[in-house]
Parts: sequence; structure tokens; C-alpha cells
Amino acid sequence: MASTQDGADARRAGRIVLAIAILIAIAAPVMASTAPDFALRSVAGGNHRLSEHRGEVVALLFWASWCGDCRRELERFERLRVTYAPAGLVVLSVSLDEEPARAATIAAAAGIDYPVLLDAGKKISRTYQADRLPLILLIDRNGVIRARHDALDEREERGLLVQLRDLIDE
Amino acid sequence: MRPWMKVMAVPAIMLLALATGRAEEPVPPPALERSALDAEVQELRREVVDLNRDLFMLEEDLLFPASTQIAVFVSMDVGTFFDLDSVQIRIDGKEVSNYLYTAREREALLRGGVHRIWLGNMKAGEHELVAFFTGQGTHERDYKRGATLAIEKGVGSKYVELRISDRVRKLQPEFIVRVWE
Repeated sequence: MASTQDGADARRAGRIVLAIAILIAIAAPVMASTAPDFALRSVAGGNHRLSEHRGEVVALLFWASWCGDCRRELERFERLRVTYAPAGLVVLSVSLDEEPARAATIAAAAGIDYPVLLDAGKKISRTYQADRLPLILLIDRNGVIRARHDALDEREERGLLVQLRDLIDE
Repeated sequence: MRPWMKVMAVPAIMLLALATGRAEEPVPPPALERSALDAEVQELRREVVDLNRDLFMLEEDLLFPASTQIAVFVSMDVGTFFDLDSVQIRIDGKEVSNYLYTAREREALLRGGVHRIWLGNMKAGEHELVAFFTGQGTHERDYKRGATLAIEKGVGSKYVELRISDRVRKLQPEFIVRVWE
């Protein structure tokens, strides 16, 4: 009787360990892991490679013209770029639009001055699991993803600012 | 005691033993301890770097044995008539690499850098390598040019160079594909 109970306990402990391992495996690609490198064309014409920004804090923003909350985030990150660029912040945005002209129009209307990269093939957005837009990632000076956000409200913006300042100070 | 408790007890006892073992050791002065620790960390770092290098060499040897290895390099000379954007490589009709060059990488190429764009394996025999160069030519006009090379792969590794240079007489870029002997 006791051995049956022991077996059940052991199985339960095994299941818990397995569940924790699965959770870690699911979270691993997007949090506390090295940001997968990519090179993309920008609307302005040049190419940008993420790994060239090692040593700087990178805010990576995935967006699309059809996403309602994205424009607000584009504008927010332009303000943040103006404030924190001298301290080492780089903002890169990745548009999932299939037509570059649409991305360019929205970017111009939002008055942003950071690169708008084109991922029409969705290869990079799939790698970063951008299944909800906007997706905001904060990447530290060593190229490690340290925070992941979607559309921000006021409280979340305060949290993001704290994270951003911490990363810049590191 | 239940068997799973016994399993958990083993690492717990080991941790306890380690902790008590450390507590019994004589405590060295803090400055000495710190310098010893620094030396230890430096030694460990050096070992990790050595190990990483060995692993890299082993990986290259295993994945790309010298008998089948082929490497393709891109180099650039002057570049007045061509602003490189990307290079695509096809071997026997199959795309093996499509590389976008950033401004910094172009600058490095212009300063004499050579970029290994692709490293792979190829069976012995005849193969066709096609390289497509995309960028902007004179007067900022979009420019795409292909260059083909027939490769006879024998035993031993093969190195192919894709060289972009200026043909001053024609005021045009020149794309040379050649095998390093």
C-alpha cells in the first residue's frame, strides 16, 4: 500500500518537473535569451543588422499599418529615442506590411526618425513570435532580450521607463 | 522514508556537506582572497576561450570536411561605380546564400576586408555557381548583375572569390568570379 502511494508521489513530482521544464522551454526563445540576429532592408533604402548594435540598448518594435495601437507606440518610441539616444538607446522598428509604401506613409505621418525595417516575408516576426501587435522588445547591451511588452497603458509605460533606464545604466 | 524522499535527500546532504566544509576552512585575509579569486576567474576565462576555439575547429572539421568543403568570399576594390546592397549565391540552381550588406560592412569591404559569405559541402564533379550582385550603379540607378562560374570539384577544399572592382575605361563596375588555386 505504502509503495503504491510512493509511486504516485514520485509520478506527481515527475509531472511537476516536466511542466516546469516545458514552461521554461516555451518562455526561453523570447525572454532572457540572446536576440536572434537579422538583417533587413529599411524603407529609406539601407540595410540594418541587429548585431551591429551590440553595446547599445535596443528597443525593437514590431508593427503594421493595419494595427490600431501601433501608431501610438511609434510616436512614443520617437519621444523616447529623442530623450535617450545620447545615453545609448537605439530604436528599430520592423513593419510587417507587405507594401513598403504603406509602412512609409504611416511612419512619415507618425514623424519618426528611426529606421523602419521591412519584414514582408514575416520570417523575422515569426522568429520573435510576434503574434500580437504591437510587440516591443528591450534588448540589453549584450544582445539579450530583457523585456517584452505589447500595447502599453500609463502604468505599463512607467514600468517600461524603469526597465529602459536600468538597461541604459548597466 | 519514501524512495523519492531518499533521492531528494542525497543532493541536500551534499550541499550541506559542502557548506559545512567551507565553513571549517581557515579564512584568508580579504585582499588575498580577492586577488586569488581574480586569478582563478582569469584562468577559467582563458580555459573557456580555448575550449570555445577547439569546439569551433572541431565543428568546422566535422560539418565541412576538407575533402568536400567549398568556401565563397566577397571582396571589393574601389567601388566608385557600384554601391553594394546584397549578394545571392546559387549552386546548381539552388539558393545557398542571400546576404544583405549594411553600410558598415560595405565600408569594411572597401577598406580591404574579405567576407566569407558561404561555407558548405559539395560532391566531387562539375557544378555551376551563379552569383547575383544587387546594388546601385552610377547615377543611383538600381543595378543587378549575375556572374557564373563552372566549378570542377575534386578532392580537397575549394575557395571561390567574388570580386567587385571598377572598370574605369567603361565607367562601370566589374564582377569577377574566380577560384583560388
